Amino acid sequence: MCPLPVIMAKRELKKMSSGQELELIVDDLGALKDVPALIKKTGDEILNTKEEGKQITFLIKKV
Amino acid sequence: MVKKINFIVKDKSFEKFMMMVILGTTGNAMDIEMNFFFTFWGLFLLKKNFKPKVAGAPFPFKGIAAKVFKKRLKKTGIGDAWELIKEAVDDGKINLYPCTTTMDLMGIKLEDMVEFVADPIGAAGFLEICDGADGIVSL
Repeated sequence: MCPLPVIMAKRELKKMSSGQELELIVDDLGALKDVPALIKKTGDEILNTKEEGKQITFLIKKV
Repeated sequence: MVKKINFIVKDKSFEKFMMMVILGTTGNAMDIEMNFFFTFWGLFLLKKNFKPKVAGAPFPFKGIAAKVFKKRLKKTGIGDAWELIKEAVDDGKINLYPCTTTMDLMGIKLEDMVEFVADPIGAAGFLEICDGADGIVSL
């Protein structure tokens, strides 16, 4: 639930080095807008978004 | 892109507290400077162990509603809101400013508040922080 997807994603991205990938799995449909908004700010890249029912999986690459 | 948003928090309800937590922690995650100015009743939210009530719930259920909301939030992963804020304060993008006038009016001292509040400021101090803000919101 908001704001956790964004906070958890940011927490992990902070620990990662350039080139590493993060698989973010959430059960919050609002994340479909929230996570891209965060990534737009951080300058990283969303490689893939997968929706399976209520679950969304983002594959994010740290730039 | 948005760089700084300032908020005046003037209520002590559970709703306003959660808005502060969610907006503040998200803004911090997005590298947006989030300044909160707690004035009048809003200052109570900074008091240690203060338990805000749900203003929108009918009397006499405002306290119970807060307990119910807290339980539901815990289920979704938001266990301790103050822990989330502390993390964001340590990160550096969120500032919680107590209003000096309100401290005098309500008799609330710095020792009564959570440890990670910013230095208390007055109206002029807050207006100075508004310089260059992309938005100023009254919660």
